[in-house]
Amino acid sequence: MPTLSRSPRPRGFSVVAIALFLATALALAVFPSFVAKPYVMHMGVMLFLAIIQGQAWNVVGGYAGQYSVGHAAYFGVGAYVTMMLLEVSKIPPWWGIWGAILAAVALSAIIGSITFRLRGPYFVLASISVAEIIRLATLHFRDFTRGAEGYLLSEIPTLHLFGAEIVFVGKRPFYYAGLALAVATIAANWAVQHSKLGYYFQAIREDQDAAHSLGIHLSLYKNVALAISAAFTAFAGGFYAMFVKFIDPNIAFGLDVSVQIVLIAIIGGIGTIIGPVIGAMVLVPLSEVLRNPRGLVQVGVLSPDSGVVTFIERYLSNAHLLVYGILVVVVILFAPEGVLGVIRRVVAWGRRRVAARGASPAPA
Amino acid sequence: MTVFLQQVGLFLQYSLSGLLQGGVYALIGIGLTIIFGVMRVINFAHGDLLMLGMYATWLIFTKTGLDPYVALLATVPLLFLWGAFLQKVFINRVLNALPQNQILLTIGLGLIMSNSMMLIFTSDYRILTTSYSSSSFDLLGLSVSQPLLYSFLVTAAITAALFWFLQRTDTGQAIRATAQDRDAAQLMGINVRGTSILSFGIGSALAGAAGALIAPTYYIYPQVGSAFTLKAFVIVVLGGMGSIVGATLGGLIIGVTESLAAAYVASGLKELVVYVLFLGLLLFKPSGLLGKSRA
Repeated sequence: MPTLSRSPRPRGFSVVAIALFLATALALAVFPSFVAKPYVMHMGVMLFLAIIQGQAWNVVGGYAGQYSVGHAAYFGVGAYVTMMLLEVSKIPPWWGIWGAILAAVALSAIIGSITFRLRGPYFVLASISVAEIIRLATLHFRDFTRGAEGYLLSEIPTLHLFGAEIVFVGKRPFYYAGLALAVATIAANWAVQHSKLGYYFQAIREDQDAAHSLGIHLSLYKNVALAISAAFTAFAGGFYAMFVKFIDPNIAFGLDVSVQIVLIAIIGGIGTIIGPVIGAMVLVPLSEVLRNPRGLVQVGVLSPDSGVVTFIERYLSNAHLLVYGILVVVVILFAPEGVLGVIRRVVAWGRRRVAARGASPAPA
Repeated sequence: MTVFLQQVGLFLQYSLSGLLQGGVYALIGIGLTIIFGVMRVINFAHGDLLMLGMYATWLIFTKTGLDPYVALLATVPLLFLWGAFLQKVFINRVLNALPQNQILLTIGLGLIMSNSMMLIFTSDYRILTTSYSSSSFDLLGLSVSQPLLYSFLVTAAITAALFWFLQRTDTGQAIRATAQDRDAAQLMGINVRGTSILSFGIGSALAGAAGALIAPTYYIYPQVGSAFTLKAFVIVVLGGMGSIVGATLGGLIIGVTESLAAAYVASGLKELVVYVLFLGLLLFKPSGLLGKSRA
């Protein structure tokens, strides 16, 4: 049954999985002490960012089954509020980002109350138009948002944390901050999945009408899912603005942003914890290498005069979204349950083979 | 009094320009609504098909100097074949998949199209300037832009031909029957697969024709499609998904709305106004102005 195989097995928790997760996090935390090349750090930060985005979308898209293609709205609000609080009001980002999250959650309540009355394709269209409305408004109301000119970050103040001074220069502080945020997001996602809330979300995904008849308040729980999702997406947006140091309406609110967020979850496998992580691991290195192949030279994978670098620079760096497009088409046609679905199918096939080789022939 | 008359004149002027623009919008909407009606697939690559039409027209114009409206004779068949190919190879495989997977597939195809064009032609803005690009006629004191008028007339001709085709020919009836009830149509001996390929081809050809028609008045660049995709949805939902008459009306309404919003609200906000109206419509009458409400 395809619908059942899609849902995770949330009962109880696996000690092995948690141990593996903590070990990976720890390994990533000590990683910069060995490899500190800026390109590797950059890749790491982008990877963490994508994981946060994918996990955040997963709450509303994967568990609750509401395919929002307008998450750029929350990402952009996160980026803009954090940036404007810093640049205009001189509020440091570690306080400002809470304002951004608050704004995004408030926005999600408004958007949710409008769009969740719609289902299926109508919901998708409504979510896109809301993000477009915000993008166009940001472009138009120049006095408030600086319009197409965007915001350039001047300087992040020094953070005094437990007597230590953290200066946000270079990529390393962002690597640690991103790692911490990604771990926190995954933990939160896990908590949601294993709570009553998570069961409600999944019930809504599988059959709205059945969930409703069981007494689940549809619009309330869809809104809760969206609020959680919006909060983490805004977090990602604020973090992105501080890391990249420049935002404009298209970077923050563009349709591409929404599509990429959905792709991270889809390509990995929606409705699971590990799915967005896999999706990020597939998409981020691919798009980063295509965007800046010189980095591979810096790391030493390719020699500077290698033909690959010039080929990518000349033909592919302008069109890294082409690869996204091809990936989506391939995934939808051949692996609609994402990379994770393929892995599961291969594992199941292997198990069947082993079982068939055992004493009794397996029943069909 | 004179001020009042002047205001009325201006209002008529904006409405007329909007109406002419709306003709092309109708064409985009009709294409999308045929695809949705027959396949129940929401085509997110529709604007990119239009973009291909623009590039084809621009290419023919710069290489041979052929007038964009004459070049339609080449661009329309080209886009028809391309659409039929997309349907046969890609869309046919997801007809029974989840709607979100269909949406993602068409988004992916759109990304492939726009980014391939970027690879070939770079993201530079192209302009196609004809001898009449900025000239206009005078109609009872109102100025009528020549390219807009021509495109409106061609649109009207294409729409009329399409209506005749769908109402009067066997193939057209097969398309309408498939749109009404796919299974029943199949039981009646209609080649549903072939009809689907034909329908996507027609939808794509209409988008391509619209692209050719607006090529003389718009900037041509690889990402131009996405704005039109969203607009096409607004038009189609406005008229009722699957309704061709609805899409025609929807296109005209959106054209006029945009033109008036640009004049009386702000030109930067004309699309925003359209989307806000769209949200309102989705909430209060999701079946569209002409659509029957589905239980």
